Amino acid sequence: MLRYDSTSSSAGSSSGSLSSSSSSSKPPQQDIDGLLAGAGYKVRSSELRQVAQRLERLETAMGNSPADFSQLASDAILYNPSDLACWVDSLLTEFAEPPPTCSSDFIVDPVNNQTVVNSAWTAAEPHTPQVHQNITYDEQQSLDNQLTVVTAMEEDSGIRLVHMLMTCAECVQSGDLSLATSLIDDMQGLLTHVNTICGIGKVAGHFIDALSRRIFQGMGGGSVNGGSAFENEILYHHFYEACPYLKFAHFTANQAILEAFDGHDCVHVVDFNLMHGLQWPALIQALALRPGGPPLLRLTGIGPPPPDGRDSLREIGLRLAELARSVNVRFAFRGVAASRLEDVKPWMLQVNPKEAVAVNSIMQLHRLLGCEQTRNSPIDTVLSWIRGLNPKIMTVVEQEANHNQPGFLDRFTEALYYYSTMFDSLEACRIQPEKALAEIYIQREIGNVVSCEGSARVERHEPLAKWRRRLSGAGFRALRLGSNAFKQASMLLTLFSAEGYSVEENEGCLSLGWHSSPLIAASAWQAVPAWDNHMSSS
Amino acid sequence: MARSNEVNLNECKMVVPLNTWVLISNFKLAYNLLRRPDGTFNRHLAEFLDRKVPANANPVDGVFSFDVLIDRGTSLLSRIYRPTTAEEPQPNIAELEKPVTAAVVPVIIFFHGGSFAHSSANSAIYDTLCRRLVRLCKAVVVSVNYRRAPENRYPCAYDDGWTALKWVNSRPWLQSQKDSKVHIYLAGDSSGGNIAHHVALRAIESGIDILGSILLNPMFGGQERTESEKRLDGKYFVTLRDRDWYWRAYLPEGEDRDHPACNPFGPNGRSLEGIKFPKSLVVVAGLDLIQDWQLAYVEGLKKAGQEVKLLYMEQATIGFYLLPNNHHFHTVMDEISKFVSSDC
Repeated sequence: MLRYDSTSSSAGSSSGSLSSSSSSSKPPQQDIDGLLAGAGYKVRSSELRQVAQRLERLETAMGNSPADFSQLASDAILYNPSDLACWVDSLLTEFAEPPPTCSSDFIVDPVNNQTVVNSAWTAAEPHTPQVHQNITYDEQQSLDNQLTVVTAMEEDSGIRLVHMLMTCAECVQSGDLSLATSLIDDMQGLLTHVNTICGIGKVAGHFIDALSRRIFQGMGGGSVNGGSAFENEILYHHFYEACPYLKFAHFTANQAILEAFDGHDCVHVVDFNLMHGLQWPALIQALALRPGGPPLLRLTGIGPPPPDGRDSLREIGLRLAELARSVNVRFAFRGVAASRLEDVKPWMLQVNPKEAVAVNSIMQLHRLLGCEQTRNSPIDTVLSWIRGLNPKIMTVVEQEANHNQPGFLDRFTEALYYYSTMFDSLEACRIQPEKALAEIYIQREIGNVVSCEGSARVERHEPLAKWRRRLSGAGFRALRLGSNAFKQASMLLTLFSAEGYSVEENEGCLSLGWHSSPLIAASAWQAVPAWDNHMSSS
Repeated sequence: MARSNEVNLNECKMVVPLNTWVLISNFKLAYNLLRRPDGTFNRHLAEFLDRKVPANANPVDGVFSFDVLIDRGTSLLSRIYRPTTAEEPQPNIAELEKPVTAAVVPVIIFFHGGSFAHSSANSAIYDTLCRRLVRLCKAVVVSVNYRRAPENRYPCAYDDGWTALKWVNSRPWLQSQKDSKVHIYLAGDSSGGNIAHHVALRAIESGIDILGSILLNPMFGGQERTESEKRLDGKYFVTLRDRDWYWRAYLPEGEDRDHPACNPFGPNGRSLEGIKFPKSLVVVAGLDLIQDWQLAYVEGLKKAGQEVKLLYMEQATIGFYLLPNNHHFHTVMDEISKFVSSDC
């Protein structure tokens, strides 16, 4: 199975030169030590000596309390290891050594705010993957046996299929629809030689369908099956169960929100896509258990208006209220029905200036990236009013993919590899019908990326590097997700998912991927204070 | 205690460039945090701290990479690095596993270091090193993401190395045009060097041809405390205590450092006399406290009549090959290039 990650920018380092390698989204700064950058660390050449001194002090501090430091390491929350200077300082703080002034905007939190989310997981010993392997080994054996039946011909057919998909996409891009159509026929024929139960055969089938739909739309036939909101919710729920991407999104965001709400008595979460409210029971429970007692929690859930008149948003709100009541958290819910996020106006959210606000966007922001780069594009409008709310935190989770490029072939290629990887990860799922429905969920996404255009194409995924630039440009700055969120994510993965998923830290953001290919990225943001703004700081 | 620490730190800083000192000291201190006295390892923190880079099918400086799952059962990933060719400066994305075209293409199976517990194939420092090896040797490099200690003890790392070797050997697209065979070299630094040796042993026993073995500061040891260990303990980033910890973490529980994995020519080792062992290039850093064991390894090979070239880099510390800012680095890279190309 071919696999590669095309979403990285220039991740390789230059050979021997001292030019700074651009391994991050920031424009290369002249002063950054190029060799250390190649090793993944950002240190200014002019600061090397100071960093060295801090390392020495840290070593001395560790030497003076040898019994403590591995325990401290377990408990300390560390941030952004790429920024050596700040990382070393945060460790020095742990050893109660006052660090010299550091440009870090995040102080290390000692372990006082153990949340229920954390303590549940620290009960489980750091993972024993061997045990995990033993449990699935027999199943893996039979799966392996299935896979080893792949003949040379199948492998060959698989490669040919990929070639043909690319050629077909190229034809579509250049407008040669008749050649594209005959390729579709050929590919469908080839599919019969390829195992469509797993691997390239399965995902190829979906791409052939999507291409076919695009071609026939171009010729005036067929329409895209968007699915009702109700269907989408069911599929989403099964996708949630079948693989860890959404769970990761939820608990990473919740952890960050919990920390941001620390010390506030009135808090308000705005959820850009409520769905079944799957994310919120865990947060409610965590707030219930926080030291000092829970705050008053308001939740505003945004969702599409139901076609049958049922107030589904309210129903979910009621269920959450029940839960909140059972754990003694004062709770209020408000549903905002809107078919598009850009139709929501801030006054609908009824944010109280005294409350701490968290804006939570799980795979919603990319829907605002209509390809027209007008001055008041939906994304700019929405980001602007979010900023106006001055939230304590904005949690953003997005697919780590580059599916919004203008060129169709580029987009198609990226999607082929992204969704191949995702389907591959889904192979590990053993529960039905969750797996089958999750596949349909992904299939719909593929369909949108490949066969839709204009306002119908809502799955406009962009990679984290782009989101960083966009959000920074819109007046937000990143809040770093730290080692505790990372640890929690890793532990939850090993408890609930198959081997092969990996969490990575990337300059304060966390991503979840399958076998070293990141597929979903979580980040947290705060509005940069606008000095000419009269918003009261919460 | 603090005073002698100061002396150590100052000496240390005099023999390496400042950015190397910062890099390796950072590793040292971070690693100190990860090893627990009870023998367990803070894996979550380790993964959080490790700087990783994704594979990149777009060539950078003439090298592109992609990850392949070699064995599902053990989630054994490897990162493959390939050079672009003059005819195909931008590889078609669907053709990552396109057959190599040259008459002879060396394939270097690389095992990253980390004392069996740290790092991964996608660690930034090893991604950089592997890319260098591709350009240097015009080779395909296969970097194996072997299972690590203490969660996975001996012989897991060797098993994974063996699996990777079999996989490489059976790839039609890696066969050199001249003889339709895969021209395999094994290479590794620190624990990776140790793994390379043991995988070479298995290869010989199974009849797979290995053209050569490159061991960079290979990790060996033994029960005895050698002179270099006593002299250099704690002086240049490494302590005996941490070495002992890693062996305890890797070796089967209850075994001591004379286990043949650790001490291949020791009391429980075996002679390689009469065995067709591949030629070896062994690089020893003169400021590495385990050099006596590495030199003993070289002696062991020589005594058994095996072809071995020793590169003793007097003023080099561990990790000197990670950054190209010292002459040891360049000397060693030249030798590696000659070692790999002499068969072409």
